[in-house]
Amino acid sequence: MNYGPLIFLAALFALSGSWLGFVVTPSFQLGTLQQTNTVGAGLTYPLARPGLAQQGLQVYRANGCVYCHSQMVTQERTLCEVVLTEAGTNTTALVAALHKLNPNYNQEALDAVLKSLPKTVVFNTTKTKADAAVKELTQTTAKAQVVITPAGPDIARGWGKRRSVAEDYLYDYPTLPGAQRVGPDLANAGARLPDVNWHLRHLYAPAAEVKGSTMPPYRFLFELRKAGLTPSTQALQLSPGIAPSGWEVVPRPEAVALATYLASLRADAPLYSTPLSSAPTASASADTNAPAGGANLSTNAPAAK
Amino acid sequence: MSNPMKSSATGENLAQVPVWLFILLFVLLFWGMYYFDQNSGWFNAHVYSPYRNVAELQLYQPAGGGGNDRGKAVYENVCALCHNPDGNGKPNQAPPLVGSEWVLGSPARMIRIPLAGLAGPVMVKGQEWNLAMPAMGAALPDDDLAAVLTYMRQSWGNKASAITTEQVKAIRAELGGRSQPFTADQLQQVP
Ligand code: HEC
Ligand code: HEC
Repeated sequence: MNYGPLIFLAALFALSGSWLGFVVTPSFQLGTLQQTNTVGAGLTYPLARPGLAQQGLQVYRANGCVYCHSQMVTQERTLCEVVLTEAGTNTTALVAALHKLNPNYNQEALDAVLKSLPKTVVFNTTKTKADAAVKELTQTTAKAQVVITPAGPDIARGWGKRRSVAEDYLYDYPTLPGAQRVGPDLANAGARLPDVNWHLRHLYAPAAEVKGSTMPPYRFLFELRKAGLTPSTQALQLSPGIAPSGWEVVPRPEAVALATYLASLRADAPLYSTPLSSAPTASASADTNAPAGGANLSTNAPAAK
Repeated sequence: MSNPMKSSATGENLAQVPVWLFILLFVLLFWGMYYFDQNSGWFNAHVYSPYRNVAELQLYQPAGGGGNDRGKAVYENVCALCHNPDGNGKPNQAPPLVGSEWVLGSPARMIRIPLAGLAGPVMVKGQEWNLAMPAMGAALPDDDLAAVLTYMRQSWGNKASAITTEQVKAIRAELGGRSQPFTADQLQQVP
């Protein structure tokens, strides 16, 4: 029995089908992608990485960092909240409107809300309902706005403010989204850890920077030099006991490029494809606390709420 | 009927496939198409999960004009490096902007600082700083500089009047191409 032609056709169909689906369609869809503008501020996004950081990407690639680190934040939901920013003049109407939105508010709670503006008055709702609530509140001469926050496990871990989209990788070649997560996601490593020197120290001795770190040290990216009378300006400021005594640790050019690349990693600009709003100005101080600086294992860090 | 290949080609065996299987396949196909229609975003490059189509994405766009986003963005890109994103400055690097008399005071003085720089001893909130700030704002367009200065004057609890593009333009013209940074004493002369 000659099944040859049939097998040939089946194989052709299977291969060309997946080629069409995985190569041709995405290339039609995203192949002509260009810089866009961020929503709100209208800045050009993304900008190409500086040259040193681009060299760093090749070092990242060559050292297989991608086997333990992804650069791809996922998002499961989008949460909407209504924040009251100004009480306006007609407090009675405002109180009535608030009570209608949330019957749990009693008079005392409402007084507290009006004293500590801006305050979130409706939690975890849909955009349609939030818009309706804002309309109702503004009719009482108060001012309110909808705050849109992407949510999901990655975002709760503090790995980013929003999901990663194709634009984020526009200037990276090759793109290194990664598939395994032995260590934390690095899509926003530079936003969390902007200090190049921290990255250098961490690459030389991860466990000295992050207690209990299982990341392998990359000591071959550094060279040991006999310490002179005065410490060299390029040498790392390591805590005592890490470098052999009488020697100092100086990063090789690859290490500097890699650390610059890591500090340049940041994908949190608000884009059309990932709606997200900045928190109202007065409460901004509450969520701009400085990055943890890798003080604890960020993989197990609790939800940054 | 000696050749089995031939008999299968006659269609005799086809009739033995039960009708419900065809119906099931048809229903599955229909469901697949429906699911695709609802969730694919029709190959639009901007639609990513959790959004399912352009209409939904459009619905979730934040309302425009809420606050000074441009000023915030410029601040975080240009000035926050030294003055810190929360405006509190950094020890030995840059003085605070929160509650600073230079930020809350005369616009004409404040606008001059990023346009030409500031060097030498300067008192900020009763503390003396003696560093140098390059002309960080000289390369910014007038409207961006006005936005960022307004952002500084109206954020983190600061409350002062907004700075307009016209004010920045006028002072930039007045300074000409001045490359020499100001000293605090020189700025005090400015009304
Ligand atoms: C064997 C797996 C592994 C490899 C390979 C690896 N890492 Fe890591 N990495 C980890 C783990 C685990 C952590 C979390 C503990 C820590 O912060 O040290 C981590 C943490 C980090 C962090 C800190 C992230 C944060 O948010 O705290 C950075 C930056 C980093 N790695 C960069 C790199 C670079 C660059 C390379 C390649 C030179 C690399 N890693 C290779 C496992 C790995
Ligand atoms: C390279 C670091 C650096 C950057 C970037 C920077 N500044 Fe400064 N800034 C300084 C230093 C240092 C001083 C204090 C100068 C002195 O001691 O004479 C200062 C002082 C000031 C002051 C007056 C003192 C105060 O704290 O109120 C203002 C206003 C100011 N900067 C505005 C800006 C603006 C606007 C930008 C962005 C366009 C900016 N700075 C970017 C370093 C910087």
